[in-house]
Amino acid sequence: MKTTIGCGSEIELRIPRQAEFVCVARKTAATVAHHLSFAWDAVRDIELAVGEACNNAIEHVPAELGQEIVVRLGVEPDRLVVEVIDQGEGFDPEEAEQGVADGETVRGFGIIVMRSVMDEVEIRCDPETGTCVRMIKRRPSQ
Amino acid sequence: MDTQLEIASRLEGAETGVLSLSGEVDVSNVQRVREAVLELLERGAKNLVFDLTGTEYMDSSGLGVLVGLLKKVKELGGTLAVAAAQPRVKRLFEITGLNQVFPLCDDVEGALKEVGA
Repeated sequence: MKTTIGCGSEIELRIPRQAEFVCVARKTAATVAHHLSFAWDAVRDIELAVGEACNNAIEHVPAELGQEIVVRLGVEPDRLVVEVIDQGEGFDPEEAEQGVADGETVRGFGIIVMRSVMDEVEIRCDPETGTCVRMIKRRPSQ
Repeated sequence: MDTQLEIASRLEGAETGVLSLSGEVDVSNVQRVREAVLELLERGAKNLVFDLTGTEYMDSSGLGVLVGLLKKVKELGGTLAVAAAQPRVKRLFEITGLNQVFPLCDDVEGALKEVGA
């Protein structure tokens, strides 16, 4: 079955801000990308980037600042716009990219990965509205 | 509930642990990976081989755990190698520059040689 997702469509997903639900968000994004005829590698890139953005939302937001992650997938004629939004106060992307030892693991690779696999990545932090990671992947020519 | 991942571990000789990861490694199950490795270290392993033949997906949380474990095995005087990473996973190492940190071997046999087993 091939479903058509029209231009102008917006798909919004709300998941609990818990590690166990990140796979729901990334697999949904991968499914949408597949239906938009992205190549297999690009589908996996989008899946990875959404997973990393959700990981950030889990890592950088204190528990008291919201229990939900919103993932929006906006279908435009020439690109897929992905927004991953949380209610946190945000973080310094440059600092986050330096890598942080956290107990016995090291964090900080996620932003590097997102920037590498997506065409554009913008991180907007607002103490009132939260943090939005906005990513763009250009669609293949029709 | 976590993402589907099967973890198999074994000792190869007295000092080398081999961990095979089949499925998807993500933020929901990296702790299980770490715990499996710590168990191998408790059983006497000081060198580690990560067999990624069946690893279909890995994100940066998986890399973060590997980097933490590398530090730990170095403290024990050992080393760590990665075997049979699939193209998507190998790309993740390249993007982050960790291909310069971890030996990426074509297969488990090569990784065992790399760690001196």
